[in-house]
Amino acid sequence: MDLFLQLLANGLVNGTFYALSALGLTLVFGLMRVVNFAHGEFYVIGGLAGWALTNAVGLHFFLALPIVILGMGVFGLLIDRFLIERVRDQGPETGILLTIGLSIFIVNTALLVVGTAPLKVVSPFLNRPIFIGPVVVTQARLFTVALCAVLILAVHLLVQRTTLGRAMRATFQDATAARLVGIRTRHVYGLTFALGSALAGTAGMLLGSIYVAQATIGGIVSLKAFVVVILGGMGSFAGAIVGGLVLGLVEAIWGGYGPSGYVDAVGFALVIVMLLVRPYGLFSKQVERA
Amino acid sequence: MAPVLELKGVEAAYGKAKALHGIDLRVEPGEVVALLGANGAGKTTTFRVISGLMRPSAGEVRFDGASIAGCSADAVLRAGLAHCPEERHVWPEMTVEENLRLGAYLVSQRIEIERRMERIYLRFPRLKERRRQSAGTLSGGEQQMLAIGRALMSAPRLLLLDEPSLGLSPRMAKEVLAVIRELQGQGITVLLVEQNVHNALSVASRAYVFETGRVVAENTSQALLDSPDLLKAYLGG
Ligand SMILES: Nc1ncnc2c1ncn2[C@@H]1O[C@H](COP(=O)(O)OP(=O)(O)OP(=O)(O)O)[C@@H](O)[C@H]1O
Ligand SMILES: [Mg+2]
Repeated sequence: MDLFLQLLANGLVNGTFYALSALGLTLVFGLMRVVNFAHGEFYVIGGLAGWALTNAVGLHFFLALPIVILGMGVFGLLIDRFLIERVRDQGPETGILLTIGLSIFIVNTALLVVGTAPLKVVSPFLNRPIFIGPVVVTQARLFTVALCAVLILAVHLLVQRTTLGRAMRATFQDATAARLVGIRTRHVYGLTFALGSALAGTAGMLLGSIYVAQATIGGIVSLKAFVVVILGGMGSFAGAIVGGLVLGLVEAIWGGYGPSGYVDAVGFALVIVMLLVRPYGLFSKQVERA
Repeated sequence: MAPVLELKGVEAAYGKAKALHGIDLRVEPGEVVALLGANGAGKTTTFRVISGLMRPSAGEVRFDGASIAGCSADAVLRAGLAHCPEERHVWPEMTVEENLRLGAYLVSQRIEIERRMERIYLRFPRLKERRRQSAGTLSGGEQQMLAIGRALMSAPRLLLLDEPSLGLSPRMAKEVLAVIRELQGQGITVLLVEQNVHNALSVASRAYVFETGRVVAENTSQALLDSPDLLKAYLGG
């Protein structure tokens, strides 16, 4: 029983991390409908930048974090303006090819600069264990989970409650209508992609302090983020959280009791089942009328 | 009188395919003017150029005397010209209320937005009943009213209405005509594209007939109604 509770706790913690890793993709893929295969690489850049600033430069974690967030935002804005904008409205395939190319470019640039070594972001959070009943969690993980929750809530409120959020939803549901009410859709696309990149980078840096930052982990991060977004129902934040938690829990429990070699496959099996049973995801609000 | 809207030699193209070959038209303040013509004649394209969705490749577009050719859509809307597009384009996953509010996206004073919302709800009580419902679940007629209401939320002086009765029952189409007459009564100038020629000419004082990207005729509604042969010749019956 104690093992099960521990696995549950691990699953919830990892699930929150998955939700955070997928948050940027929820915006970019779920809402904006750009199939961004470079999402994981944006995460990697965030992690590596976080490592460089906290380790090589020696900045404090909370000084480095806003720099990474801002830097990744600007990076995303430029990527949208100079690359994504050129393939907008040309169907998903060109976007897929573009972002695959971008991801290959980023991985290899990162390999050239920092090599293959796993690098740790220096964080002020301690790895001291905290006991909650029979369950053990490190202080660092607990803090990061709290930070994830705050970030997810903030993005949710941004999209649902603010003028920018309304402009975003309007633009992605019907760009023509958005332009006709005076929304500058070009800025909305740019800002959304910037926000998505900033969130990916933030996730990379936060989790780079728990796990490691490494040039080559982008691929698996992308795949799992897609799993989470699809599980949750494209563009739904509640869905992304639930998708992340489900993935984390299933992996943890599978890892505890099942053959461990298959842990990474479990998520993809889930997606296959999901697409067969509820093709619009757990939380989608599909409108009935065509 | 100075025209509220004037197009001179407007040309526009989709890629290499030219859709407008020099459109000239004038709309006086307070008029309702209809654009008639077969499918693909360039009526919607003309609207898209006027409202800034598309850049003309040549020619002049003047709104209240100021050139708006090539201006962005938000600049044109801010100047007081709203475009209610073909096929409604409501945001299906947003509520009726959110759709309407976004119509006043460029308005910052809350009180003003509330005042306009109330006016719209007063005119379209069905929308008020359904204000919490997502727009995608409305009937075609209700969606059309929502699209018109949304365009009116910007308090335009000139409204472009593209096929507002497309796919509607005759009764709903009559309702749309009634709304257009009311708008005219409020001093709003209306430029209307309409497939149903008789409906169009019953509200419009004048009409332009489009054919493959050109204006081939311009006359008062009365004159056009009096010579059905002329209409038939242009519109193919
Ligand atoms: N998005 C587009 N891409 C390419 N060509 C287009 C596009 N939209 C319209 N066209 C072409 O431009 C020409 C004019 O089309 P437009 O939509 O303006 O006609 P219309 O008079 O509004 O027709 P309808 O009565 O069918 O709405 C047509 O030949 C059409 O094929
Ligand atoms: Mg048309």
